[in-house]
Amino acid sequence: MPRRLAWLSGAGGFALSPQVLANGWNMPVGVTDLSREIHSLHMTIFWICVVIGVVVFGVMFYSLFRYRRSRQPQAANFHEHTTVEVIWTTLPLLILVAMAVPATATLKNMYDTGDAELDVMVTGQQWRWRYDYLGEEVAFTSSLSTPRAQVRGEEARGETYLLDVDNPLVLPVGRKVRFLFTSDDVIHSWWVPELAVKQDTVPGFVNENWVRINEPGIYRGQCAELCGIDHGFMPIVVQAMAPDEFDAWLAERRDEAAQEALGVDRDWGHEELMTRGEEVYAAICASCHQPEGQGAPPTFPALAGNPRLQEDLGWQLDTVINGVSGTAMPAFRNTLNPVELAAVITYTRNAWGNATGDVVQPARVAERLAR
Amino acid sequence: MWQVIKSVLAAFFGVQKERQRRRDFEQGRPGHFILVGLVAAAVLVLLVVLLARLAAS
Ligand SMILES: [Cu+2]
Repeated sequence: MPRRLAWLSGAGGFALSPQVLANGWNMPVGVTDLSREIHSLHMTIFWICVVIGVVVFGVMFYSLFRYRRSRQPQAANFHEHTTVEVIWTTLPLLILVAMAVPATATLKNMYDTGDAELDVMVTGQQWRWRYDYLGEEVAFTSSLSTPRAQVRGEEARGETYLLDVDNPLVLPVGRKVRFLFTSDDVIHSWWVPELAVKQDTVPGFVNENWVRINEPGIYRGQCAELCGIDHGFMPIVVQAMAPDEFDAWLAERRDEAAQEALGVDRDWGHEELMTRGEEVYAAICASCHQPEGQGAPPTFPALAGNPRLQEDLGWQLDTVINGVSGTAMPAFRNTLNPVELAAVITYTRNAWGNATGDVVQPARVAERLAR
Repeated sequence: MWQVIKSVLAAFFGVQKERQRRRDFEQGRPGHFILVGLVAAAVLVLLVVLLARLAAS
């Protein structure tokens, strides 16, 4: 009985989840020509299946009823009927071919990534996404921004619970965007139902897909490949905007990146590094090492009060930049820039009672990165 | 020979007359069926490859 109750409440939870409320029980029509095509294909095949189901089960139940034992005590005893067998073999073959022709055409369209006006590299990481606008000098990571208090049940859940990120992927409407998917660690899957894109990101491989979005808006998705403890905590948010707005946004991000690159050479103050480091820590590190640095031993060691961290800056630099192979600690040399690395290292050396007083300058990290 | 081919094709299709089946089991030689079966399988693979090429072009 308790198990059945649990199952029922689980099913009820799914029925009331935002995804189901937004789309009903069906897949969404979506906001690209291709997603419409996929949806209509899906509906066509669905109705074919419904007709087949009704006919097959109709014949079955009619036979069960019509030839029941009380009416037909003597069983018929025949063996084969070649004509009928040929019909029930040929008919499904024709139906399958009839479904395969439009499906193949759509599939070909899906794989045609030529003539793209914008290339975006999507990299899955435990447990966030990284977006790289290739050739535009703009790249950033996109992490869950739903407050942890909501996860722990201390606050009421918001409308977009576990579907909010700090930096959404911004895309232009009406332009063909090519995605290149890969992963830094394990297999993830980048899934946004409204865009009809669900593509595995596989370490060491590059998968391709593309979209041309018709309507501006915010489209949400999730990782669709079980990838570890925070699999449910790496959502996707796509913000589609008009092309001129997008160009302005891209230019702004490019300026910011250039500004950040200049920041590597100047001397940073303790306070500004701490502020910046706290942001980076919350977005990148807190999911494993926990918001207060207490960690979750043995997999995720504590940073607060960690003697090695406080004594050995060189070791910490190496750990953060290059990761530790054979453990859950990834290399952040390509994920974070020198300013972010310096900030988060300064922060962890001075927060939660770690009182080294160290100020690690971005220039020092950059020098270490160059080695 | 023609009978063997016909029976192999019927097997690929999945439907065979009981009369033919009996005759095959009484008169046929297993080696013939295996040989024709292998050739037919190769032809099927070739056909599917050609079809896929055609669809992808
Ligand atoms: Cu994932």
